[in-house]
Amino acid sequence: MWQREKKPVVGVFGFSGCAGDQLAILHMEDELVDFFTSADIKFFHMAQSHQEVEHVDIALVEGSINTDKQLAELKEIREKADIVVALGTCATHGGIQYLGDNEKEFKERMLLVYGKDGKIPEFSELVGNPIPAKPIHKFIEVDFSIPGCPVAKENFIPIYTKLISGLKPSKYPYPVCVECKFQGNDCFLLHGEYCLGPVTAGGCDACCPTFGVPCVGCFGAYEGANFESMIEKLIEIGLTEEDAKRKLMMFGGEATELALKGEK
Amino acid sequence: MSKILEFNSKLLDYMSLKFSIFSRYPYRLPYKYYVKNSLDMKTYKMSKDRFPEFIELIKTKGQLYGPVKGNGKYSFEEIEKFEDLDFDYQRTVIGPKKFLTPPRYPTLRYDKSGQADVFVSDEPQIVIGVHPCDIHGIKILDRLFLGNIKDPYYEKRRNNLIIIGHSCLPDDNCICKSTGTDMVEDGFDLFFTELAGHYLVWVGSDKGLSIAIEAEDFLTEEISEEEIQEYVRWQQKRSEMFKSEIPSFKYLADIIHLNYDSKVWDQFGEKCLSCGTCSLVCPTCNCFNVEDRISMNTEDGFRERILDSCTLPCYSMVAGGHDFRPDRTSRLKLYYTHKLKEYIGRWGQPSCVGCGRCVTYCPVNINVITVSEALYEEVCENQEVCE
Repeated sequence: MWQREKKPVVGVFGFSGCAGDQLAILHMEDELVDFFTSADIKFFHMAQSHQEVEHVDIALVEGSINTDKQLAELKEIREKADIVVALGTCATHGGIQYLGDNEKEFKERMLLVYGKDGKIPEFSELVGNPIPAKPIHKFIEVDFSIPGCPVAKENFIPIYTKLISGLKPSKYPYPVCVECKFQGNDCFLLHGEYCLGPVTAGGCDACCPTFGVPCVGCFGAYEGANFESMIEKLIEIGLTEEDAKRKLMMFGGEATELALKGEK
Repeated sequence: MSKILEFNSKLLDYMSLKFSIFSRYPYRLPYKYYVKNSLDMKTYKMSKDRFPEFIELIKTKGQLYGPVKGNGKYSFEEIEKFEDLDFDYQRTVIGPKKFLTPPRYPTLRYDKSGQADVFVSDEPQIVIGVHPCDIHGIKILDRLFLGNIKDPYYEKRRNNLIIIGHSCLPDDNCICKSTGTDMVEDGFDLFFTELAGHYLVWVGSDKGLSIAIEAEDFLTEEISEEEIQEYVRWQQKRSEMFKSEIPSFKYLADIIHLNYDSKVWDQFGEKCLSCGTCSLVCPTCNCFNVEDRISMNTEDGFRERILDSCTLPCYSMVAGGHDFRPDRTSRLKLYYTHKLKEYIGRWGQPSCVGCGRCVTYCPVNINVITVSEALYEEVCENQEVCE
């Protein structure tokens, strides 16, 4: 049995982020017709008019949680969905908006950006009260995570098609370096240039290093990452420890933050 | 025929009488072929200016791949014209194993009606410019994939691959002299040794011989005594160029055994980035993962083999979720004990061919040289067994 008897109901939900992962799905032009026919897409803001759903088999959730209203919606999704998949680095790690969390208190930052009282009354009803950005697994149980900024088609399709076929995708964490070596690339770190490949989750086919651009870590932290040794290496090639940590934190999100604090 | 034997005996004379200096590495020219199969296997000479014509000829035999320089590194790429080739290289990032066990390739296609194996086409692939270490690497892969149980996907690729070796000069990272793989006597179809004005061409197989016969316009069997001397001098020069050496490489298996619980491993484990580079670039590492990839229409799909690395976190995870090697130290230990110890126990030689890729490409300097040096030091400190 490698296909469900009934077409699974799928919802694509978006929270705070650039909506790039929803766009990435719509950009899979060769597979797009199959995407909308192989499953019953009931909720997909970017592609369809708003629809209410009672229940979805699979919820693809993109974006981090930034307001209390989003949090309530997220919890509702968890109640209505059998399987929740975190889609993209914002949902899996917190994304760029996770940055700065530990530098100042959240209230202080709000004051800094929005003025004296730190409130935005005209928006609060629409979007809810802001809270520090967090990846979705901080609030609900997540069944599968597909990192990416945005998710790569080659990475997304095998996991997604297994889920809609009623199979269980396997988890196999590997860093960018693996696909970088598949491409036969030389290593930036050996030539005194920074590259975050060894600590970044793979799945992108190492597209940046292949085109001569070092990895900035947009897929978030790789599960087997050795941050201590990575920072040492970055210092060796001329970065200060602070710079190295800032570079790691750019997309690193919560996992990197905890590792840098030594709590992992 | 008599000429060949004459040449052969001359060569043997030189070796045994004048150059006993090479006693540890006896002259391993493919002379045994003359003895075994004297009618078939030959050694030729080719003038360098005929080489482009030879390349043109060989291109008619199948898709030609060869070393190409690009972005500051070398790789085996498709060759359109002779000028693309650059034989002045030490190592490519990925060796010729990419023709035999590519990083990812489909093995099975299926849809709801059934399934079918996926094989590569019968079109031969020719790879030129392969160094002795990489040929040794292929010999090790052959042993693993074409042993008692033959891997059909590998076998098909191997049978379609024509290997044309090329001589090389070592750099500081080459350790093939220590591993005993700096010369090669079989495993290739043709082998070119580059001398001042000409190539010496060794024939290593029937396939190679048939190419040589076809290329008889470019090849001559007349090799003068002077040219043999030139070759011997060249080998001597090459032998002296090796800078890096692993002391008493053959005892390394014992040293690893003695040091199995040493804290040296922890030190390397702390440093290791667990990025997989060492094994992905290694010409003898061949572990793969198998994944099913279902198409978006959920009607069909394919099964893929993906090159794996034992330094990755879930490599030793089994059904049920237990991971036998959750930490970097134990994974690194697995890599080195397998390569330098266990393989010797099984096959009488390490599965390191001294190509120096791990030495060149590990970002944090964990490689055969640093690991073996650290282990030797450990033994010397503790047991005073070192001279």
